[in-house]
Amino acid sequence: MSSRDAILARIRSALADTTPPPRPAVPEVWPRTNPSRDDMARRFAEELEAVSGRVETCGSISAAQDKLAEMVRQAGWKRIGAGDSPLCHEIAAKLPTHCLAWYGDQGTPQTMADLDAGLVEAQWLLADTGSCLVANATQQQRLLCYLPPVCLVVASADRLVEHMPAVWEHVAAGAAETERRGEFVLITGPSRTADIEKILILGVHGPKQLVVFLVE
Amino acid sequence: MPDDTPDLHGAPFLGDQIRGLYEPSGPRALAESAERSTRHNQQIAASIPSWQEWREAANQIKHYAVANLDKLLIEFERSITARGATVLWAEDAEQANRHVLEIARQHGVKTVVKSKSMVTEELELNAKLEAAGIRTVETDLGEYLVQLAGQRPTHIVTPALHLSAEDVGRLFAEKLGEPFTAEHAALTATARKHLRQEFIRAEMGISGVNFAIADTGTLCVVENEGNAGLATSAPPVHVALMGIEKVIPSIEYLPQFLNLLARSGTGQKLTTYTHLFHGATPGQELYVIILDNGRTRALADAAARMSLFCIRCGACLNACPVYRRTGGWAYGWVYPGPIGAALTPHLVGLRQAGTLPFASSLCGACGEVCPVGIDLPHQLVHLRHRAVSEPSPMRSWRERLTWRLWAWAMRGPLRYALAMGLIKTALRAARWLPWHPGKLGAWTRGRGLPHVPPGSFRRWWRRHGEQFAPAGVLKGEDHNDEQP
Repeated sequence: MSSRDAILARIRSALADTTPPPRPAVPEVWPRTNPSRDDMARRFAEELEAVSGRVETCGSISAAQDKLAEMVRQAGWKRIGAGDSPLCHEIAAKLPTHCLAWYGDQGTPQTMADLDAGLVEAQWLLADTGSCLVANATQQQRLLCYLPPVCLVVASADRLVEHMPAVWEHVAAGAAETERRGEFVLITGPSRTADIEKILILGVHGPKQLVVFLVE
Repeated sequence: MPDDTPDLHGAPFLGDQIRGLYEPSGPRALAESAERSTRHNQQIAASIPSWQEWREAANQIKHYAVANLDKLLIEFERSITARGATVLWAEDAEQANRHVLEIARQHGVKTVVKSKSMVTEELELNAKLEAAGIRTVETDLGEYLVQLAGQRPTHIVTPALHLSAEDVGRLFAEKLGEPFTAEHAALTATARKHLRQEFIRAEMGISGVNFAIADTGTLCVVENEGNAGLATSAPPVHVALMGIEKVIPSIEYLPQFLNLLARSGTGQKLTTYTHLFHGATPGQELYVIILDNGRTRALADAAARMSLFCIRCGACLNACPVYRRTGGWAYGWVYPGPIGAALTPHLVGLRQAGTLPFASSLCGACGEVCPVGIDLPHQLVHLRHRAVSEPSPMRSWRERLTWRLWAWAMRGPLRYALAMGLIKTALRAARWLPWHPGKLGAWTRGRGLPHVPPGSFRRWWRRHGEQFAPAGVLKGEDHNDEQP
């Protein structure tokens, strides 16, 4: 008997005298309140700032391009790795091309290790927790989220939803942009630890800084 | 890994680790920190009106999942395999280790980076990998510290709770040749610098699993540091290890658990990173190892089944007065605290861990904080019953003789008085002895023997009792304690 069958047989015999309970209803941990988009934007910014993230609200894509270019200039970032998505291309339009590296499914951790910042697109923004849902279909896109010391996230304001159950509805509805491939990650602030004496320190292994460009 | 790794076999709660009871510094830091966490948890619970309903709902979902475990595991295996993952099953630690070593061999792995996983502690996987010549690096900061120090985690969420910043500074100076500092940010930066190289060069990343979602074939891993993100994305191979009990029916239930886990574990609304792996990322290999290792024994004991609901948040550890005093190592195996005392006897057997359920005052604090509503005090009482009726260290002839004598002495006032007199005489005599044998010695190393008052309560009562007793009460012999 394979170990799989042995384990399953043990489970079945252990449960032999059990009547399974009915499947419980999905609890409303986060009830639906259908807030306005402005409310959600405000909530998102509050929640993300509470966990040391930063939100740049941009009235238009052109304003977002200027803000990003200014930020890059001020910080003196020489190399920015960007996810190969339409919105990333749009927001990076005003950056000097020599400081940009585009990542689809090519690139190794070694060559990506010296990036100053990673730019990725979030598919959904969760107002209640200040989280960005980034759907990473490739290893390189995943690395952009974790490897560079700064994580820049761009998202369109119409991607604001209330909370996680609302996102699952979109996912279940089979929206193409959230096709389940590779990894979904919910990013809620920059990387943090409290492993030494429970003192909070930002930026342990992942990014020390998280900036979300919220584009109207 | 260094050779002085503590032996994991057995649960010497009453053995040598009793030393921890009178070593002041470590346990005190741990106790304060644990107490702070509990206070924080209580504030969070109080601020959420429906907290109790959330717990109840989580309990019901787990109840459903465990009662349908075989079906859900098969569904999970099918759906994640369809997404390009390879699923392997392991009946015990040895099989699981063999799977990991075989995968490492196939992919020519020389270095492994690990994110936090209690299951791999069960397997003693690091030692097995090292023995096969594979460099194995823990990347969660707390686990990294514990590994550098050649120790074991003392807590399931904050493994290095027992180390002060000075300890860490000395550790980095000694093992990494870094200049000494006790500054938290600088220490964290040092760990970042050293571990970055490991992430980049490793050929395999190993992680645990927080939730395995049956319908979508998704693995959920939560973390704060970004090390699980890096350990699973930088190397070309990702091996995820999970106990059979990690499976939940549907992604719809996930928010419920994420919500409870973050709040109870670290006091956050949501952990910084919640990874959902939908099978293998294109270009990478994903292996999922599903482990039994004694869990079906807990499943077969209907009264103990609930111990499999645990989501490893650590709240019961923080709330437990015994854990606060002894720390994690005293529990002798991987899982400390009340959940360790309730789970370990199933996983390693009562013969080895039969004393653990007695390492509790049954105050009930653990049961009150458990976010999935595990009735921990009842679990412990149930295991106590089993430990005295099945082969275990609690069922020794000495134990039985003691209770027989006790039962005899309690059956009549004269016998009782005689027994008390004997005990008092023995205690008085013991105070004069320069050295105490065995368990008595372990007790008196850390504290004095109780003071024996002169006379007895009975004698006192005969003289003064009348003025206290309501009319007609306590005319006959009393069965009260000896002390007034």
